[in-house]
Amino acid sequence: MNGHEHQRAIDLISRREIEGVTEAEARWLQSHLAECTECSEYELAMGSAEQAVRSFTVMATGSLMASTQARVRARAVELRERESRRFLVAISFAVGVVFSTLSAWAWWKLGGWMVERFSLPSAIVGPGVVFFWLLPAIVLGVLLMAFPESSFEGSVMQLLMKDRQRGIQ
Amino acid sequence: MVAAAFSALAMMETEEAQIATGLRRRDPEVLDALIEQYQHRLLRYLVHLTRDRATAEDLFQETWIRVLEKGHQYDGKSRFATWLMTIAHNVAIDHLRKRRPVSLDEMRDAEAAAPFEPVSDGPSPFEQVSALEDRARIQAALEQIPPIFREVLALRFQEQMKLEEIAKLINIPLATVKTRLYRGVMALRPALMGGGE
Repeated sequence: MNGHEHQRAIDLISRREIEGVTEAEARWLQSHLAECTECSEYELAMGSAEQAVRSFTVMATGSLMASTQARVRARAVELRERESRRFLVAISFAVGVVFSTLSAWAWWKLGGWMVERFSLPSAIVGPGVVFFWLLPAIVLGVLLMAFPESSFEGSVMQLLMKDRQRGIQ
Repeated sequence: MVAAAFSALAMMETEEAQIATGLRRRDPEVLDALIEQYQHRLLRYLVHLTRDRATAEDLFQETWIRVLEKGHQYDGKSRFATWLMTIAHNVAIDHLRKRRPVSLDEMRDAEAAAPFEPVSDGPSPFEQVSALEDRARIQAALEQIPPIFREVLALRFQEQMKLEEIAKLINIPLATVKTRLYRGVMALRPALMGGGE
C-alpha cells in the first residue's frame, strides 16, 4: 500500500456523504479500509466529528430577528433615498448639458455681436461666453447642493424618480 | 427518479431566481423572509467562526445589511445559502481584522461565553446529565481546534456543503479545503474518542 492509495481513500471518505462516489470507488474503498487501519480510523473519526459538530444547535432569538429586520428596513429606506438623489443629480446634469449644448451657438453669436457693438476686448468676452454657456449646469448644481432632497418632494423630478422606482419594482 | 431530481433542481433554480429578483429590488418582504429562513444557520456559522455569541449577533446584523447593499450582485445561479455564507465569512474576516491584526488561527482564546445550546435529548435526569457532559466535552473539543478548521467542519457537516462550494466560499484552493477537513477531523479525534472512556 502506498501513499497515493491512502490519499485516494481519504479523498473518497471525505466525498462519500455529500458529493458521492461511484460503485467502483465504493468497492475499492471498502477493500482498502478492510486492510488499512489508518484509513479506517480516519473513517471513524470523520463519523464522530460529523456527529459532534451536528449535535450543536444555535438558535437566534426573536429580538435579534426583529432588530435585524428593523435595521435592514431602515437601511433599505436610506439606500433608496440616496439612489433617488443620485438619479436626480444625473437627470439634472443631463438637462444642464443639453441646455448648454443647445445654447452654445447662441452665446457664441451674442459674444461676437457684443465685441462688435461695444468694442469689447475678446479677453473678457471669451470667458463670459464660456460662463453663460455653462450657466444652466451651474445653476442646477447650486440648486441641488443648496436644497435638501425634501425640497423636491412633489416636484416633476421627484415624480419622475418615483415612476422610475415603480418601474424597477 | 431522474425526473424528480430535475424537477427539484428546476424548483431550486426558480427559488434562487426569485431571491435574486427580490434582492435587486431591495424588496423588504423578501429580505424579511430570508432573514427568518436563514436565521439559525447563519448565526450558528458565525458563532463557529467567532466563538462569541455577542460578536456573532453583531455580525449577523452586519451580514444582512451587506446582503441588502450587495444584493444586486447575487445572480441567482448559485445557491443563496452559499452566497450568504460567503458574505458572512467576509464580514467576519473584516471584523476580526479591524479588531486586531491577527489571523483567524490566533482567535483561540476568545471569551468563553456559552455560544452553543444543546439539542434537547430527552427528559430523564440521567440522559440530561449525560447530554450535558457530552456537550461540555464536544464543546471543549471544538474550542481546542483552530477556527479555520472549525469553519470547514461547520460548513461541511452542518451546512452539508460540497468541498468545491467551501473552497469558493472561503476563497481557498480545493486542496486546502481537503487538508483543513482532514486536519480538523484529526484534531477533534483525541477528544471525541477519549470521551467514551
